[in-house]
Amino acid sequence: MFAGYESLITTMALTGILAFSFHVVLMAGQLSLGQAGFASLGAYISTLVVPETPLFGGLSPVLVGIPVGMAVGATAAFVLGLPVMRLRGVFLAIATIAFAEVVRILMLNAEWTNGARGLRLERWVTPELAWFVLAILVYAFWRLGPSRIGRAFAAVREDEVAASSMGVDVARTRMTSFVASGAIAGLYGVLFAYFVRRIGPSDFGFSMMLDGLVVAVVGGFLVFFGPLLGSAFITMVPEVQRAAGLEAGWIHPFVTGALLLVVILLLPGGLSSIAGYLHGRLRRSPPPAPSTGPRAGNEPPELPELPAADTPVLTLNGVGKDYGGVHAVHDVDLELRAGEILGVIGPNGAGKTTLVNMISGHVAPTSGDGHVLGRKLGAAGGAHRVARAGVSRTFQHSKLFDRLSVLENTLVGTHLVSKPTFVRRLLWLPSARRDENRAVSQARRQVQRVGLADREHVPAAQLSYGDQRRLEIARALASHPSLLILDEPAAGMNRVEAAELSELIRSLAADGVTIMLIEHNVHMVLDTCTRVVVLNFGEVIASGPPQVVASDPQVIEAYLGSDETGREHV
Amino acid sequence: MSDTAPESDTIVSVQGLHVSYGRVQAVRDISFDVPAGAVVTLVGANGAGKTTVLNAVAGLVKPRAGTVLYRGRDVTRWPAHKLVAAGMVLVPEGRQILGTLTVAENLQLGGWRRRKASAAAIDEMYERFPVLAERRNLRAGSLSGGEQQMLAIARAMVARPQVILMDEPSMGLAPKMVDEIFGVIETVRSSGVTVVLVEQNARRALRAADTGYVLETGTLAHSGPAARLLKDPRVVQAYLGVE
Amino acid sequence: MLQQLANGLFAGSIYALFAIGFTLVFGILRHLNLAHAAIFTTGGFLSVDLISRQGLPIWLAFPLVMLAGGLIGLLLERIAFRPLAGRPDEHFAGLISSVAFGGMLIALVQARYGTEQQSISSEAFPNEVYTVAGVSISLAQLTTLGLALVLMLGLAWVVAATPLGRAMRAVAENARAARVLGINVERVTASTYALSSALGAMAGMLMVLNVGQGDLGMGLAIELTGFAVIILGGMGSLWGAMAAGLILGLAEALTIHHIGSSWKDVVAFGLLFAILLVRPQGLFGTIKAREV
Repeated sequence: MFAGYESLITTMALTGILAFSFHVVLMAGQLSLGQAGFASLGAYISTLVVPETPLFGGLSPVLVGIPVGMAVGATAAFVLGLPVMRLRGVFLAIATIAFAEVVRILMLNAEWTNGARGLRLERWVTPELAWFVLAILVYAFWRLGPSRIGRAFAAVREDEVAASSMGVDVARTRMTSFVASGAIAGLYGVLFAYFVRRIGPSDFGFSMMLDGLVVAVVGGFLVFFGPLLGSAFITMVPEVQRAAGLEAGWIHPFVTGALLLVVILLLPGGLSSIAGYLHGRLRRSPPPAPSTGPRAGNEPPELPELPAADTPVLTLNGVGKDYGGVHAVHDVDLELRAGEILGVIGPNGAGKTTLVNMISGHVAPTSGDGHVLGRKLGAAGGAHRVARAGVSRTFQHSKLFDRLSVLENTLVGTHLVSKPTFVRRLLWLPSARRDENRAVSQARRQVQRVGLADREHVPAAQLSYGDQRRLEIARALASHPSLLILDEPAAGMNRVEAAELSELIRSLAADGVTIMLIEHNVHMVLDTCTRVVVLNFGEVIASGPPQVVASDPQVIEAYLGSDETGREHV
Repeated sequence: MSDTAPESDTIVSVQGLHVSYGRVQAVRDISFDVPAGAVVTLVGANGAGKTTVLNAVAGLVKPRAGTVLYRGRDVTRWPAHKLVAAGMVLVPEGRQILGTLTVAENLQLGGWRRRKASAAAIDEMYERFPVLAERRNLRAGSLSGGEQQMLAIARAMVARPQVILMDEPSMGLAPKMVDEIFGVIETVRSSGVTVVLVEQNARRALRAADTGYVLETGTLAHSGPAARLLKDPRVVQAYLGVE
Repeated sequence: MLQQLANGLFAGSIYALFAIGFTLVFGILRHLNLAHAAIFTTGGFLSVDLISRQGLPIWLAFPLVMLAGGLIGLLLERIAFRPLAGRPDEHFAGLISSVAFGGMLIALVQARYGTEQQSISSEAFPNEVYTVAGVSISLAQLTTLGLALVLMLGLAWVVAATPLGRAMRAVAENARAARVLGINVERVTASTYALSSALGAMAGMLMVLNVGQGDLGMGLAIELTGFAVIILGGMGSLWGAMAAGLILGLAEALTIHHIGSSWKDVVAFGLLFAILLVRPQGLFGTIKAREV
């Protein structure tokens, strides 16, 4: 049925598989371009160790080679990843390109690869096999998207700092995508070798990298079927041109380049953004609506107890932070007990955000010591460990995952209270569905709590400012925190919105969440908090019940500026 | 040239300004006039939209609606570099000095548009700010916060502007330095340059200004002669929410 | 041995000239311009055309090739980079759009010259060879080294001491602050591309003069070497690219001499790798390596 087109059809599938090895790293925001090296290693090593004739009478070498190639690719990626995963952006890109080049040169000079003359192999890859493998990948990526690890990929891509404060282990997530990319590239290498029948080291060169990257980006890396579309596009363009009689040698690359340019300039999300547009809501199949009756799996996950009222949650002893001689925060003592709503106010540049960053583990203090929920401030391990201890926060400059919907943003927040589901989702195990439903219902509860229930499928970037702040709170709440730190949640809200927010915060405290509220809207802080601390020039200048603090002349001065010219601060 | 100006001595006039970031409306329907040679201040709490207004006037963000007239001309859609060339210069929030360049290079960039004339202007600035002259060959990033703010203002003055827009010049500075910066603002004004000042330090700003506008959550709440606003309890309320 | 080193130096000066344009765009604009190699190739073919087919004297061909490179650079910025400004995926998209632009450029080169190698006529350049201390050096090699050095020093001067250079450094550090100062950021961006591409095309011409011919694949080989050079020298550092280009040329020559020509690239990439892991700001990088 494929008469005359076997080669084209197989190539299309193989190109799609190559593109998936780029897709999986781009999904997690990593510009990793060493796939040709993994493919080369996978292809060469598997053809070296797998006999050329069918095993056990019928098992074709490619079927034996696939797991070998994947294992080789994954191992190589892991070993390479140990040092290079510290790099980001173009530095990661160039390091991985260099790796692929080194592999190419090594293969060129090794004896067992037969050097530049290459290896001859039998063709064992049929169009059916290639498409079967591609179908499995498409299926896997379809199941990956809405799983816990899939959401972690998206979170790391959109904002690493925010992801880590949701408890996502950023380093591990990046490595996972890198190793998966190696495995898929190894798989591609094996299929490619048994398809083209003759492989040489230069087949796995810079242009293979460009092909894979171009197809992945043109297809779109935000949607699971992107590589499929990209591959169809890139493979069909020359065919269409041939059919149209445009065969002059240069026309083909010129038109391909021009089309590529048009796609990239006009369709930021790649070709799949058209498909997404056409399918509208079908694209992101919304998770099942909460059923009205109590059904297994629709209750939220089992959540740990919050600390009992009045137990210490946070203690700071003389904590300070210097930036090159500038005291951003200086000698701050603070104690916070469960059930309190502590307001932290102070003018711009008073050191409020630095203080929060130290507590949430994003910045290490340079002096003093402190504990938050049993964890020492500045201890090794990164912000996700602090999140795991029960600290959740919002950011002064909203760090939402812009391209994700309200519900998806909040689902990332459930990372710490939900279970990994990807493998079980692949197998359609009911328990995966149950766990997903639990995560969804936990997320949905938070979305309802902040009053965004009617907007749960709207991308975060399209929300109004006030709604964005609310969504940040919902996302922070989803991890069931013991301590919730809100960094200027009311900025840009009008009085009515701020009053609603104030009410929400008090209701959270009534539920047992300890709250630290950093805010410029002093009125709201006074209305909301049980205790207020005032910072100025990195130091605590006043502390106590709201009304006492509000009438403190030093506080008024800090806010409105000094009355007398030249009066020094104490 | 200025025949379309609403008032002959109005140098900047903002009418019905709306600014949105994406779907987020930061500034709603703000209008004010700046008389030539005056100091006008916009005060208000954080997030009230002061910086947005200034950025829109300076051509850094495009307003969704409204017009900005400068010397009678509609400059609403002008890019920033064209406004600078026409004599309206912004001293941005957080100073935005170029830390890896030297003090001298920062000043030279201020006169980027008029290379010949700027040498004299730079010398003038060194005279006015001896501390900058002393450090002219140091990297600007090594200056203290107050010195950086002086550099930012001096850099703007090198362009010989007619209007200077200052965004939170006292932010993060120690009180003594704040005094010095307000002294600088006074000398800027006495050299005939119109000043539009955005400040959180409301008392100081109103004391330095002729006219004040109080912004609250993106809209204009009060306006009037600065001296009157200074005594107005509602201004305090806009900040602290207490009387 | 000395002969090898001399050859390494000449090759290295071309690497450096290629890389300095590459790193200029990255240093100022944080764009990784993957069309730079295509501009290099175009410069090479254009010079064969001007010299061998049109019969222009070589001293006239130099400025023409640079001019053409500069114009292509303007076009590149306009078509492949400016429309992406401010998009959240600007970075990925810029890589792809520059690949696309480069592909189109190479296709046009192919349309005019075909896929065959293009040799430069031997009488185009006086075939003089000098012998100094047992090392034979051709006039073409000397010209290459001299021109490359002059152009690189010229670029360094432009960046360090001219108003345009100051504006470029201002944009590099803080585009927003530069805009506030009245700098036309779009124009500075376009100028950066023009300068970078003029040097890239010139590097292509020198390569062709040096090896006597050009082929469509010449860009690919130097693109990878160019990566090694800019990492070694520190991304965005002009002096670094200059020194690293020469070092790499010499290192290659030594490798060829001691180990064998097939291993020369391993040295380049091994070095690149080691630098990235140990000192990501590069050997000479003074600009703190910014994560993009």
